[in-house]
Amino acid sequence: MNTKTLRPEIGLVLVFLLLFSACKKKEEDDIETHNPTPYTLEIPHGFPTNVNIPEDNPLTVEGIKLGRYLFYDERMSGKADQGMGMSCSTCHQQAYAFDNPAGQGTGTTGLKTKNTVLPHINLAWNPGTFGWNGSVASIEEDVLLVIPDPTEFASTWPDVIAAISAEPMYPPMFEAAFGSKEITPERIAKAIAQFMRTMVSQDSKFDRVLRSEDNFTESERRGLVLFTTEEGADCFHCHGAPGNPLMTTHLFYNNAKDTIFDTSSDRYSVTNNPRDIGAYKATTLRNIELTGPYMHDGRFQTLDEVINFYSEGLLYSEYAHQLMHKVYPPYGQGAMLNPQEKADLKAFLLTLTDTVFVNNPDLSNPFQK
Amino acid sequence: MKTMKIKIALFVLAALIFTSCKKKDDTDNTPVTGKIAISFEHFINDQPAVVNDYSYTNAAGNVYSFFLVRYFISDVELYKSDGTTLKIDDWTDHFYVDTDIPHTLLWNVYDEISSGYFDSLSFRFGFSDAKNQSFMFVNQPESNMVWPEELGGGYHYLQLEGKWIDPNGIKIGYAFHLGRGQHYDGSGNPIPPFIDNSFRVSLPNSAFSVKAGETTNIVLRMNIENWFEEPHIYDHNQWGGDIMQQQPAMLLAKENGWNVFSFHLNNN
Repeated sequence: MNTKTLRPEIGLVLVFLLLFSACKKKEEDDIETHNPTPYTLEIPHGFPTNVNIPEDNPLTVEGIKLGRYLFYDERMSGKADQGMGMSCSTCHQQAYAFDNPAGQGTGTTGLKTKNTVLPHINLAWNPGTFGWNGSVASIEEDVLLVIPDPTEFASTWPDVIAAISAEPMYPPMFEAAFGSKEITPERIAKAIAQFMRTMVSQDSKFDRVLRSEDNFTESERRGLVLFTTEEGADCFHCHGAPGNPLMTTHLFYNNAKDTIFDTSSDRYSVTNNPRDIGAYKATTLRNIELTGPYMHDGRFQTLDEVINFYSEGLLYSEYAHQLMHKVYPPYGQGAMLNPQEKADLKAFLLTLTDTVFVNNPDLSNPFQK
Repeated sequence: MKTMKIKIALFVLAALIFTSCKKKDDTDNTPVTGKIAISFEHFINDQPAVVNDYSYTNAAGNVYSFFLVRYFISDVELYKSDGTTLKIDDWTDHFYVDTDIPHTLLWNVYDEISSGYFDSLSFRFGFSDAKNQSFMFVNQPESNMVWPEELGGGYHYLQLEGKWIDPNGIKIGYAFHLGRGQHYDGSGNPIPPFIDNSFRVSLPNSAFSVKAGETTNIVLRMNIENWFEEPHIYDHNQWGGDIMQQQPAMLLAKENGWNVFSFHLNNN
């Protein structure tokens, strides 16, 4: 081998390396210089200023748009071609504040979720305890978990990626949102999470009263007083008040509805703390009119049943939360409301319905023009 | 000679520059203030409170357990031996403590504290009426402490919760909550004005020193059993599980609160 013949080979290698590194660099530059349009989540009147948006998944116009399409796309099951299409919106329906009127969710194979579906309301303010028992730390994590869950999508991520990749509109949308056309589980989860964080309910009558744009009726006002007083129904310690307008503390309570407990999906299953036996999240009461059936197992079909339960149906156990002090056998099993008080409490609860939210076109199905 | 004068002038100039620089350095590098950090501890009968343990008996004879305590302190004042008073208010004048949230058990006070010897400190348990304004907290967990408008508004000063065993052997939850109080007319309507149940906690045995450039670690320990025993014996069987609308019970809590806290120095 002489130097004359070696030089052109070296030259070719160098040229190749230069081209390769230039290409690679260009791809990295594309991602690094990718500047999607920032989206600012407006903080509604009286809402917390602390929002739970991960640093590695800021809200962008392009990400939210992509997430909206994915949220409503039945190809997300990876089995739509087998007649088993399913999307997030199959269970989380906008007309019901992104809850499921059937209660439990039914997966692609017909299996049902253990507990009822939870609504998607103001999740940007969830501190990182998603689900009935708070076991899920983020929306992104939840999306990653539901695809293989046998009671939900019962699919595999490779199948989902293949189905989404086959739709020509998606690669450019991923490029717009994330800087390249690559479709990954993480990017899908991020996009859907971005969209879900824009599901903000803040225009109920309750909100309008807080903004001094409306007034409660006498019945609604009496209901609020019952809601926020210990001598009344004492709902506010767990479910918020005008000063805590998320209408949840995001904490977990055993609300005295059982005497024997299945600890497989309660808060105890997460913390192993005996205080949490039979405890589930105090869900937001925003849009409570639309989010039945109620309780983690959907045992109550109507709001009236729920009010009757808290009025005279509490069951004593040593695990009942200490705030359920109205269960005090043999003296009382609840708030002991009279019919007028029950009607007033319900009237107040109905002021939490946000029809603007459930009709918001920005949150609607983009495939239905 | 001329050269000599120039040399002397240069020497004087250099000396002036050198000394002025040195003086400036001395001023900048010598701290005159220190910091304090306040740890919050929660004890029952001189031992750290154990959650969900029914081995406690209060002065009224109630067997009880402790689950959690949440509270605000505000308007901390430090009394120096030269007669001056320092108020903690540079960044915030209050602090929220929650036994379920570990990071709330340590307050790294932002204020620069002038070095020296302090005879004692005091603080307000809860908020004064002037500061207890509704809607001032929008973020959780503080906003979870909201006190209903119908009961005077503002925020709970205290949520102390657990259970006690009643005479029938039943474990009943107690929500020993303190905030604005109210009196009621014959038909159950509150009679304004509302009552400020916050109170000042003075800790006479709370001397400490702050050294320049160092942090003094203070411990404020809540001795939970004291809520129920001095000067009033508080009986859960008498007052039941909720007291937000029972001003006589909240008054007992307020008056028992004087010796609930003790002061300690953390030398670790």
